[in-house]
Amino acid sequence: MRMPEKIEEIKRNIEKEIRAITALKDAEQFKIKYLGRKGIINDLMKLIPTMRVEERTVFGQMVNSLKVEITNKVEELIKKLTAETVPEIKVEIFDITLPGKRPLSGKKHPLTQTIEDIKEVFARLGFDVAYGPEVELEYYNFEALNIPQDHPSRTDFDTFYIKDDVLLRSQTSTVQIRIMEKQKPPIRSIAPGRVYRPDTVDARHSFMFHQVEGLLVDEGVSFADLKGVLNQFIKTYFGQNIQMRFRPSFFPFTEPSAEVDISCSLCGGKGCNVCSYSGWVEILGAGMVDPNVFRAVHYDAEKYTGFAFGMGVERITMLKYGICDIRLFYENDMRFLSQF
Amino acid sequence: MKISFNWLKEYVYFYLSPQELAKRLTNVGLVVADIKPVEDDFCLDIEVTSNRPDCLGIIGIAREVAAAVGGSLHLPEVHFITTGDDISEFIDITVEEPILCPCYTARIVRNIAVGPSPEWIQKRLKCIGLRPVNNIVDITNYIMMETGQPLHAFDLDKLTGQKIIIRRARSGEEIVTINGARRALFHDMLIIADGRRPVAIAGIMGGKETEVSESTRNILLECAQFEPRQVRRTSRALGIASDSSYRFERGTDPEGVDYVSRRATKLIKDYAGGEIAGGVINIRTGRQETKRITLRMERLHKVLGVEIKRDVAIDILTKLQFNVLNDVDNFIDLEVPSFRGDVCREIDLIEEVARIYGYNSIPTKTSISVRGSARNKYEIVEDTIRQCLTGLGFYEVKTFSIVDTSPLQSLNLWSEKDGIDIANPLRQEESRLRTSLLPSLVSVKRYNMDHGTEQVRIFEIAKVYLAGNKLPQEKTCLSILVDTDFLSLKGMVESLLLNLGIPLKQEWTRFNKSGLFMDERAASIRMDNTVLGYLGEASSVLGFKMQSSLAEIDMDLLTERSNFGKKYQNIPQYPPVFRDLAIIVSEEVTWASIEKCIADTKVPFLEGINFFDVYRGKQIPAGKKSIAFNLCFQALDRTLKSEEVDNVQQVILDTLHKTLAAELRKA
Repeated sequence: MRMPEKIEEIKRNIEKEIRAITALKDAEQFKIKYLGRKGIINDLMKLIPTMRVEERTVFGQMVNSLKVEITNKVEELIKKLTAETVPEIKVEIFDITLPGKRPLSGKKHPLTQTIEDIKEVFARLGFDVAYGPEVELEYYNFEALNIPQDHPSRTDFDTFYIKDDVLLRSQTSTVQIRIMEKQKPPIRSIAPGRVYRPDTVDARHSFMFHQVEGLLVDEGVSFADLKGVLNQFIKTYFGQNIQMRFRPSFFPFTEPSAEVDISCSLCGGKGCNVCSYSGWVEILGAGMVDPNVFRAVHYDAEKYTGFAFGMGVERITMLKYGICDIRLFYENDMRFLSQF
Repeated sequence: MKISFNWLKEYVYFYLSPQELAKRLTNVGLVVADIKPVEDDFCLDIEVTSNRPDCLGIIGIAREVAAAVGGSLHLPEVHFITTGDDISEFIDITVEEPILCPCYTARIVRNIAVGPSPEWIQKRLKCIGLRPVNNIVDITNYIMMETGQPLHAFDLDKLTGQKIIIRRARSGEEIVTINGARRALFHDMLIIADGRRPVAIAGIMGGKETEVSESTRNILLECAQFEPRQVRRTSRALGIASDSSYRFERGTDPEGVDYVSRRATKLIKDYAGGEIAGGVINIRTGRQETKRITLRMERLHKVLGVEIKRDVAIDILTKLQFNVLNDVDNFIDLEVPSFRGDVCREIDLIEEVARIYGYNSIPTKTSISVRGSARNKYEIVEDTIRQCLTGLGFYEVKTFSIVDTSPLQSLNLWSEKDGIDIANPLRQEESRLRTSLLPSLVSVKRYNMDHGTEQVRIFEIAKVYLAGNKLPQEKTCLSILVDTDFLSLKGMVESLLLNLGIPLKQEWTRFNKSGLFMDERAASIRMDNTVLGYLGEASSVLGFKMQSSLAEIDMDLLTERSNFGKKYQNIPQYPPVFRDLAIIVSEEVTWASIEKCIADTKVPFLEGINFFDVYRGKQIPAGKKSIAFNLCFQALDRTLKSEEVDNVQQVILDTLHKTLAAELRKA
């Protein structure tokens, strides 16, 4: 059969088939049969390259006009059938107030968030992050920090022991010594990490908790600088309206030593049960590095001065969010973790 | 330490309300934790730091008030008249351990009348929470609270052999202390003995048999100094802590002993009558040198960062009863009062000046230089992992490093050796350092199941502790627990690796750890023959209702191998050619071997090998499987021609056939 005849035959079939179509579904089927990727029209197109050059143009035009004709007819038919079908379909209204399909999303632990916030503030002040072992030699936890054996201040530092001179660090101050042993001044470091003390667990105590220790050593560093740096931290972390108060205290590894309070953010300093009606809450301990500590790491205590500070991560997090039971941090209840 | 507000006023004049006083004391380092009204008085609860035993007496607090507020200090008079025979007629005292007892004084009062103490003493003792007993006991307590120096009164007539010996306990010796408890004593403990037996544990507690009672007529009043460390050790060993041991272990004033003895003797005479025996027994060995320290004003300014005037500094130190010896050219030589055992160095003087000057009067400045700080590699890895996993819907958890010794905790993934035990655990439940984080994650999942949350995706980054030499090896691990199958978790881990710049060249080998992982569905992951971690589906013995998978990865190795040095690769300008293939191979043939076989052909243009399906069924013979995958071909300089790809593809198929007996599956 010659091609033009074949096209004519197709045309006839089309008329017949269209007349027989009464459902929209059949119209779609018809469209695919002729116009689809593997449809009749495409099959015809594929023949073009096999023809003699002079025949190609004519045949091409014929196929194209056939394609246009079928397209028009089919679209018209679909339109007609759609119009007929519409009244039968129930009207659906898309409810835009249905809840969105939320992807799963998790959270960092609130203590991690606090540590990251603290790290970020101090990173902007030029402090690097350092780490040290949690299972420590007694020397780093005590002697090097100017806490000799049988010293009454050891009472304040009850400790888990592994064996005679190996213990679980009870403070991150151990990292100070490890840094200074390795590095010469200037030093600007903070050391976050886990610490351990044999305290019976209750709403306020945990045998494991987190601290962030800070250390700055250089020539000409003063107590005024310590106040300045901690003031920057407190204003950045807790807010510009928060007041800071320094109180003399005692730590064997700093002299002079201070405890630092901030004005109670819950009551605005008026007094509430969080601040024991004093208007102030203690958030960290600090002081100028004791010359004996410098001596332990062979620094010249006349040439260099420095300050150190340490804060409890749980305590700060509890203050920030109004959490009143430290155990929540380690129960890991999804209903707790999802709140932060 | 609890003090009475009215009592304090006896030694220093001030016109402050208890609340205002509390504020001033807090600002010099004596934190007033509580103020409680008691009748017409107030009880102030003061936190005294362990370096300040001088403030464990009201006079010490008064001294601080005088320095901080400005009033002058008044100490009670201690003059009295002695009558009767000399003390040496009644007692003979020997100090056998002069190092442990550098000072021992005794006075004797005879023919006293034991009875209730006067109203005003009782009232003050009750205000600070002490129960009045009788005039003698009350007076010794009163004086201890006033001066910080403990005393002890013996019933003189009950001391055997008219003797007091300060010596070490002998093995087998015992004492019944005043609280009625019988204590066995050991050789390293210092005791007070009479001619026959121990009558007191030195500085800690007296004995029941020689205590003052209703029938006591004559008393011996001991006022001594005991070596702090010895008191602390004995107190701890016996488990006895008393107001007395608390003070002795912090250190008492060596120069104050006689004053306190006389003060108590006078009060006893005044309120219990009797006659004071002539003289005193005062045995002192090794008198402590008075400490002299030079304060350099320049150093003071340097450390504090503020120019405090010389006169101001001198005034502060004088009020604290430091004695100015010399004062030239901004060098101030000072003598430290004997009750300030904590002050030995210039820096201690600087603190004294700063404390009274007021920490809050020191400027808040930041003159420290500008310095950049970048995250170290470990921090970047940690941040990346947290970001990836929270993005995938994971919650980060934190669990205890100290765990129990249950079989689950003893699975020992990383080492054959058991975990390290704590020598002094609080409870059996927390007695060992963990060797894996996974058991803790299992507990967290169970906890949440019990509280109504079935589905959890959790991870933790923390250390495990593996037995080492002196100190254990602390390995930081990443552990994951998720409610998916093996391959989904494997995919998450792979995407973590890619995010850390680690190519997926790990070797996954079958791994067995029943009790944790399901058999056949767990793997150890190795990188260049080092274990990177373990991953598997949760064993049914863990009791989870839904399919879950677990993984633990060595973060230290991840950090070491991570690579954040990124370099831009040109995006190809020409389209790639994809070929979908399905091959039939034996059951034993793994995807890893197929992938390797294809890669090993090193054919040109091959850019990617992507698995997409494994099929077993009707058209596939038994013992075989069909594996479908997709190959990506790409040339950088042109569009590949079909024939070029055909040729390469044929090489691949031939190799697969030769190496793995793979047959191309016909459609």
